[in-house]
Amino acid sequence: MTILNDLILPAGFEDLAPVAARWARPTENERNALRFEAGAADFAAFRDAMAPRLEALLDYLKDCPPNPEEPAQRNALMLACAYAEAAPHHELYGGSAEVPFSFDARRFVPDHGNDPL
Amino acid sequence: MLKDTAPLDHIRRTVPQIREELGVAPVSVKAIRDPQIYELEKERIFRKVWLKVATGWELPNPGDYKVKEMPVADTSILVVRGKDGRIRAYHNVCTHRGNKVVPNKGFETFGRARANVVTCRFHGWVFGTDGALRSVPMEEGFGQLDKACLGLREIACDEWEGFVFINFDPEPAQSLKDYLGDFARLFGGYPYHESTTAFRYSTVLKCNWKVALYAFSEGYHVPTIHAGSLPGFRGIEHSDFKLIGPHASSTIYGAGMDAAPSTQMFAGLLHGSEDHRPRPDQLPADINPTRRADFQFEIPNIFPNLLIHLASGCGYPGMSFFTHQFWPLDHGTTLWEGINYFRPAKNAAERAAQMHVNALHRNAWLEDTATMEDTFTGIMSGAIDEMQLMDQEFLIRHAALTLDDYLAGTLQ
Repeated sequence: MTILNDLILPAGFEDLAPVAARWARPTENERNALRFEAGAADFAAFRDAMAPRLEALLDYLKDCPPNPEEPAQRNALMLACAYAEAAPHHELYGGSAEVPFSFDARRFVPDHGNDPL
Repeated sequence: MLKDTAPLDHIRRTVPQIREELGVAPVSVKAIRDPQIYELEKERIFRKVWLKVATGWELPNPGDYKVKEMPVADTSILVVRGKDGRIRAYHNVCTHRGNKVVPNKGFETFGRARANVVTCRFHGWVFGTDGALRSVPMEEGFGQLDKACLGLREIACDEWEGFVFINFDPEPAQSLKDYLGDFARLFGGYPYHESTTAFRYSTVLKCNWKVALYAFSEGYHVPTIHAGSLPGFRGIEHSDFKLIGPHASSTIYGAGMDAAPSTQMFAGLLHGSEDHRPRPDQLPADINPTRRADFQFEIPNIFPNLLIHLASGCGYPGMSFFTHQFWPLDHGTTLWEGINYFRPAKNAAERAAQMHVNALHRNAWLEDTATMEDTFTGIMSGAIDEMQLMDQEFLIRHAALTLDDYLAGTLQ
């Protein structure tokens, strides 16, 4: 697992820097790769950090373009997308990195998998 | 263009009518199991009927093209928007000696024809996006060469609501309009072209194409297969059955479920957006005609291998519609394509919310596809000779009967 220590977040969201370093990635393939490596405790910690801040983060992102270039905005969106992907694994799938009783997700090919955001 | 407003009451069926018309007997699995039937399907169905291969919004500008591998017709096709704005389809085959004109990677490749021409990389023959052979290097070296007859080999191609269909028959028995018939009226008029944000997934399944098609053609499986992804699921109603020649359709209504906290947040954002909120008012008049508030989506089967699930934001939050296609690669191998369509996000928050909804639906698809290879293995084992089908599986029964009719030559 790679930690990205240089992710700048918008003012007011600096406390989320550690989870952004751990989870925020620009592409679906990279986000999925992190998810496949994660365990129940990782998903729970992500939820604990994000749940109280998600509303504020989305409010901030409402004023950003859908594919922002400004680094802090872009990192904030990467973090929101990472949570969008990871949250069901805590909330629905009991902390499993895989969807229970499912097809092998690694065999699903997203056309957009390497597209940034 | 005159709008055809005649009512579609004649396509509606009650459950007793469905049972009477389609029968209630078990359905043979021979068409799934027998490799010789697959060879007949190639000849009598996939080379004869209209097949959706692209959307207009995938190819927005003149010169935009898509190469699609079509093992079911033993060919590769080039779908391209010409200078005149029209989308045409060709065999992706150079008329010189048969090389692929536009090379590709994987099952689908997109590109742009510069100056509205494509050039074969083998010897440099140049073709216009109108198919004409424009130039041949060292043309004087050919003893005879009738360039006017050496354009790309065209395939019948037409559009309905921005969906691009082809027909491999050199002289199709029906126009696309006639082939779609009342289906085009049932589903027509929705602004499909506005939902240009697409998330496409594909996988190669070790099963016959009909196993995959049938698995996505009913709502009976929802409470069991999707138990993990639908917490507090309050059940669905699969009703409003319709028979439309070789096609059929029906409606999924549902009382919803207990959305997880993150889903509530993301969904609330989309539901509060003018672009992404539920739009039952945009549904064609004959889909959810009473405008029930619990409408989830319309689930049709467009023969032979296309499903367009029209939701208009009423089912999965913000999702306009989603499609499935099932392309046989051989008797026991299928390329499945699933695409979620949204209107473009106006801001980064909507973008993240779409990512969440897309992930939830992709995860449900992972639950769906989990059954398919096992089902095919089971059928190939010879342990069963028939499928037992209940009312909510009528799309399967209808597709199986339609397939039999095409194979017998009573439909073409």
